[in-house]
Amino acid sequence: MLSREESELLTRAGPGTAAGDYFRRFWLPALLATEVPAPDCPPVRLRILGEDLVAFRDTEGRVGMVDEYCPHRRASLFWGRNEECGLRCVYHGWKFEVSGACVDMPNEPPEYGLDNKVRIVAYPTREYGGIIWAYLGPAERLPELPKLEWARVPESHRYISKRRQETNYLQAIEGGIDSSHSNFLHASVDAFRVTPDYVEKVKNSSNLRARYHLLDRVPRFTVKKTDYGLVIAVRRNAGEDTYYWRLTQFLLPSHTIIPYQKGLSIHGHCWVPRDDETCWVWTMSWNPEAPLSAEEWKTIREGTFVHADVDPVSFRPYRNKDNDYQIDRAEQRNHSMTGIHGFAAQDQAIQESMGPIVDRTRERLGTSDTAIIAMRRLLLQQMRALRDDQEPFAAHHGAIYWVRSASLLLKRDVPFDEGARDLVAAQV
Amino acid sequence: MNPNHMVAVHDFSPETLAAVAAHLEASTEFEHLVYREAELDAIWSLTGFAPAQHADAQRLHEAAHRAHDLVGEGWPQEAAALLRAFL
Ligand code: FES
Ligand SMILES: [Fe+2]
Repeated sequence: MLSREESELLTRAGPGTAAGDYFRRFWLPALLATEVPAPDCPPVRLRILGEDLVAFRDTEGRVGMVDEYCPHRRASLFWGRNEECGLRCVYHGWKFEVSGACVDMPNEPPEYGLDNKVRIVAYPTREYGGIIWAYLGPAERLPELPKLEWARVPESHRYISKRRQETNYLQAIEGGIDSSHSNFLHASVDAFRVTPDYVEKVKNSSNLRARYHLLDRVPRFTVKKTDYGLVIAVRRNAGEDTYYWRLTQFLLPSHTIIPYQKGLSIHGHCWVPRDDETCWVWTMSWNPEAPLSAEEWKTIREGTFVHADVDPVSFRPYRNKDNDYQIDRAEQRNHSMTGIHGFAAQDQAIQESMGPIVDRTRERLGTSDTAIIAMRRLLLQQMRALRDDQEPFAAHHGAIYWVRSASLLLKRDVPFDEGARDLVAAQV
Repeated sequence: MNPNHMVAVHDFSPETLAAVAAHLEASTEFEHLVYREAELDAIWSLTGFAPAQHADAQRLHEAAHRAHDLVGEGWPQEAAALLRAFL
């Protein structure tokens, strides 16, 4: 449970709010680089932290991110012409550079000299790891880019997608770090029932997750606070003298890395508030050692795993609440717990079903919700500290993001942080 | 008793409450407080599901709520005292 005040503090992210100020201390994923593919390409709209913005790539390849509404009479610059190093409002011709400076004001006499003084709100951007990142905070607090492994691998080694979700960002993070749901929400009916056929199929599987999840469905949670956020360690009984451990990182303000097994691809998320009732779900898959395989591309194309199939302009998934996520009740009866195709759509369906901002005063948490409690407490602590003028450490120390998740078998008497020490450093 | 270990809350018996109170009294770190909050959440949930005529459960339900919020604010000793009142 969380008090109404604390829930409000965590979930409201517009300008001037505690959460809003906190997110405005970090570089945030804003656009796929492919949304503004070339100099002078069409501008795109986006909403982030409750602000409506327009992004454009100028003639020199720099990406500008400005208030959507022209300071003259508030026309949308989405209709603007992207021309010769600036975006021109088509209503009366005012033109803005990526810096926000108004460089042309053809409907005003030059003696007014207005064009030297007028500015539009403009935010700095960086292109990094296939993404255009934006910084919406105070200019004198410009943070460092996070040294995330997926952003450093060659392009052929990764795939990044984004989708729009109709819930507050916090609910989406909670779903991401809630390790106990995968045995249910994402399971097949056979796995859930632990049928003999299923046991036969996975008992010698090289995929540890498939092998051990069904043996112990009541995992133990351990959390550890770190300088980048949290390590969440989930322990299941495996062999007689071994535990199966899954380690996830939660990295401030809202990144996670899903437990990964050596040899397979790594997956991660970042959630960014779009406004209080919707968020951007970024999903990254990467292989540090090799280009993504044909099989991985097939999974991505078919939307069976963590990436959803989305409308290329709105980024709303094709499976959405208007069509009940295309649920197939026969499939649900016979094969999968949800009857909904793909992990991403399953997560989205269930998280949206809780309402845009779930009422946390009415939840009944148990010990399997420890990671969620830890993440909320950490964010509350960070947001309150910022209100007391303590700047977030992580925002100015990009190198601390150089970590990797893990899953492994350890002898029962070996603490997870010792046993996994070599695995949890990023390596590319 | 180790504040890094979570008490398994299966009921709201005196033994469970005493264990949670003792762990609260030994809690100092962020991680400890997270585990205590999870335990108190579990006690609050269990007492919330108890029938309305179970007066002790109702009183404990309210105390667990207050103890939970005290832990959230960083006051585990005060939270422990609330639970000890039921022993
Ligand atoms: S509204 Fe943009 S130039 Fe007038
Ligand atoms: Fe999920």
